[in-house]
Amino acid sequence: MSAPEERKVTVNSLAELPAAIQPGQDLWPAIEARLKSAPVSQAPSRFTRLRWLAAAAMVASVAVGVWIGRDLWPLPGSGTGAPPLTTQHPLTEGAAVNAAYMSDPRYRRERAALMKSVQAQLETMPPQTRAKVAASLAAIESAKKDLENALGKDPSNALLQELLINTYQDEMRVLTDVHEAGDAGRGI
Amino acid sequence: MRITYQLMACLVTLVASAAAAATTFDKQVDAEARGVVEISNTSGSVEVSGWDKPQVSVHAELGGAVERVEVTSEPGRTLIKVLVPGHSWGDGEAKLHVQVPKGSELHLSTVSANANVSGVLGVQRLTVVSGDVVTEIAGADLELKSVSGDVKVRGHGQSARLYVSSVSGDVHLEHGAGDLEISSVSGTLAVTLDSARLVRARTTSGDLRFEGKLTRAASFEATSVSGDLKVRAPAEGGYSYDLSSFSGDIDNCFGAKREKSGGVGHSLSGTLGDGAGHVRLKTMSGDIELCDRS
Amino acid sequence: MQAQAEGNAVDWEAALVERAVKGDTRAFERLYREHAGRVYGLCLRMTRDVQLAEDCTQDTFINAWKALAQFQTRSSLSTWLHRIAVNVSLSKRRRATPVLEAEPEEAADDGTGWTLETPVEVQELETAIAELPDGARDALLLHALYGYSHGEAAQMLGIAEGTCKAQLHRARKLLRERLKMEVN
Repeated sequence: MSAPEERKVTVNSLAELPAAIQPGQDLWPAIEARLKSAPVSQAPSRFTRLRWLAAAAMVASVAVGVWIGRDLWPLPGSGTGAPPLTTQHPLTEGAAVNAAYMSDPRYRRERAALMKSVQAQLETMPPQTRAKVAASLAAIESAKKDLENALGKDPSNALLQELLINTYQDEMRVLTDVHEAGDAGRGI
Repeated sequence: MRITYQLMACLVTLVASAAAAATTFDKQVDAEARGVVEISNTSGSVEVSGWDKPQVSVHAELGGAVERVEVTSEPGRTLIKVLVPGHSWGDGEAKLHVQVPKGSELHLSTVSANANVSGVLGVQRLTVVSGDVVTEIAGADLELKSVSGDVKVRGHGQSARLYVSSVSGDVHLEHGAGDLEISSVSGTLAVTLDSARLVRARTTSGDLRFEGKLTRAASFEATSVSGDLKVRAPAEGGYSYDLSSFSGDIDNCFGAKREKSGGVGHSLSGTLGDGAGHVRLKTMSGDIELCDRS
Repeated sequence: MQAQAEGNAVDWEAALVERAVKGDTRAFERLYREHAGRVYGLCLRMTRDVQLAEDCTQDTFINAWKALAQFQTRSSLSTWLHRIAVNVSLSKRRRATPVLEAEPEEAADDGTGWTLETPVEVQELETAIAELPDGARDALLLHALYGYSHGEAAQMLGIAEGTCKAQLHRARKLLRERLKMEVN
C-alpha cells in the first residue's frame, strides 16, 4: 500500500516558517557525556542548599574515574591519553565511591545540614509521615549497601556504578525536597 | 492535689473554648485572568477549582487554633495564607475552598493537608508533604513534589512538561502527554501517557508501570535499584532499546533473546522499526519488561 | 494577559537556570529540551549541513553550560542561546568552507516585512533561503525568521548595522529573483 501523498504546506511570509526544527536524533546523550567533564562556572559565592549537587557530581566522576576508571576512560587510540591505573587497592570499588563522597567536605557539610534540618522537620510532622520518610531513607541506605556489595563482585560494572551514583544523588534530592516542602508548607 | 485539679480544669476549659471557636471565613478579591495564585496551608485540606470570573474567592472552615487567613492581592498575584501560631493547644486545621480564574498559575504548598485541584488551566506548582494530591492538567506545565502522600494526576492528552517527584507516595498519572520527569524512592509509579516525547523515570525500590505511545525520535529512560520496570510503549518510527539488569530478569514481547554480559548481569539491546527513538531501562535487581505494543 | 503568562514562563525558566548553575544536569536537560529545536533550526539553516548543525547544537549547549553563571535571568535565554549558536555556526562554517565573500554595496533594505506575494511551499522557500550567499542568509534568518532587530542581528553577526541592512537588501533582491515574485 503506497503512502498517502503528503499535504504540501505553504506559507505567506518568512515569519511563518517554523523557528524550531528538531534534530533527527536525540543529541542529549552526547551533550550529557560532555557536560560531565565540563564544569559549570560558579556564580558569585552565596550559600545555597544545592551546592552539593555540583560537589557530588564532581566527586562521583573523580571517584569512578580514578578507582574504577579502566572501563570509563575513552578507548585506547582516541588521543586523550588515559592515565595509568592502579589495579590493586585495599577498598572495594563500591566502597571507594562511598569514601570519595564522604571525604568531600562540601558534600559532608551539606548532607549534615540537611539531615539536621529534616530531623527537625520530621518532629513536627504526623507520625505516619515520619514513618514513611524514615522508611524511604532506609530504602536508600539499603540500596547503597546492595549496590556496593554487588560492585564488590563485579567492580567494573558501569550499570552498578551509575545506579550507585544515582542513589547518592537521590538521597540528597529527597533530603532537599523534604526540607523545602516543610518550609514551603509553612509559607516561609 | 487541689492545685493539680485546678490546673487540669483550666486546661480543659482552654481546649474546650478553642474547639468551640471554629469559624468560617469568606473573602473575594479581583484577580487577573492569568495571574498567579499562591496558597499556603499547614493542615486540613485545600480544594481549588477554576472558574470564569476574574476573581479569587476563598471560603474556609477554620479550627479554633487558626490565627487568621490572610488574603492579599497585588498586580498579577493573589496570596492566601493560613496562619497558625506555634504551640497552639487547639485545632489548627483549615479546610479551604478556593475558586480561581481558570487561566491562573497556581502555587500550592501544604504540610498535612490533602489537595484537590480541578479546572485550572495554567501552570501548577504543588508542594505537599503528607497529604494526598489529586489534580487535573490541561496542556500547561506541572511541577508536583510530594513527600508521603499519594498523587493522582489526570490529563487530557494535551502536551506539556510534567515534573512529578515523590518520596514514598504512589503516583498515578493518566492521559498525560509531552515531556515527563518522574521519580520516587519507594512509591509505585503508574503512568499512562497519550503521547510521550521525553520520559525520565527514576526509583530506588518502587516499581514503574508505564503505558504510552512514544512520538517519533522519542527518548525514554528509566532506572531503578530494586524496583521492577514494566514498559509498554509502541512508537512512531520504532526505537533502539538498551535493557540491563544486574540480577533481575529481562523480558520482552517481540521475541528478542537476552544476552549475558562479560561479567555478572544481563543485557538486551536491539532496534525496532527504524530505530528513530531510544529506550533505556536499567536496574540492579528489579525485573525489566519491554513491549512495543499497547 | 499574554504578557503575564509569558512572564510566568520566564520565572519557571529562571528556576531551572538557577538549579543548572549549581550543577543539576537534569534541570539543564529540561532547558535543552525546551530550546533545542530553535537552536538546531538556526544552526541547520546557517550551516546547511545536518552533521555540522548537530555539532553546532551540541557545542552551543556545552558552551552555554560553561557560561551559565554569567547569564542574567531577566534577559531571554532563547536569545542568549542564539548568540552562542551564531558564534559557533560561523566558526564551524569558516573551518569547513573558508570562502571570503565580498561585502555587498551599502544599500538600505527597501522593505519592512517579508510577506510573499503568493503562498509558497515551505520546502521551496527553505531551498531558496539555503541558496542565498552566507552573509545575506545569516542576516535574513536572524531578522526575518527569528525576529531580531537590525541592531541585534548585526551585533550577533559581528558586523556593522549598515552592513546588515545591505545584506538584507541583497537577500530580498535574490529571493525575488529566485521565487519570481515580490517579497514585501
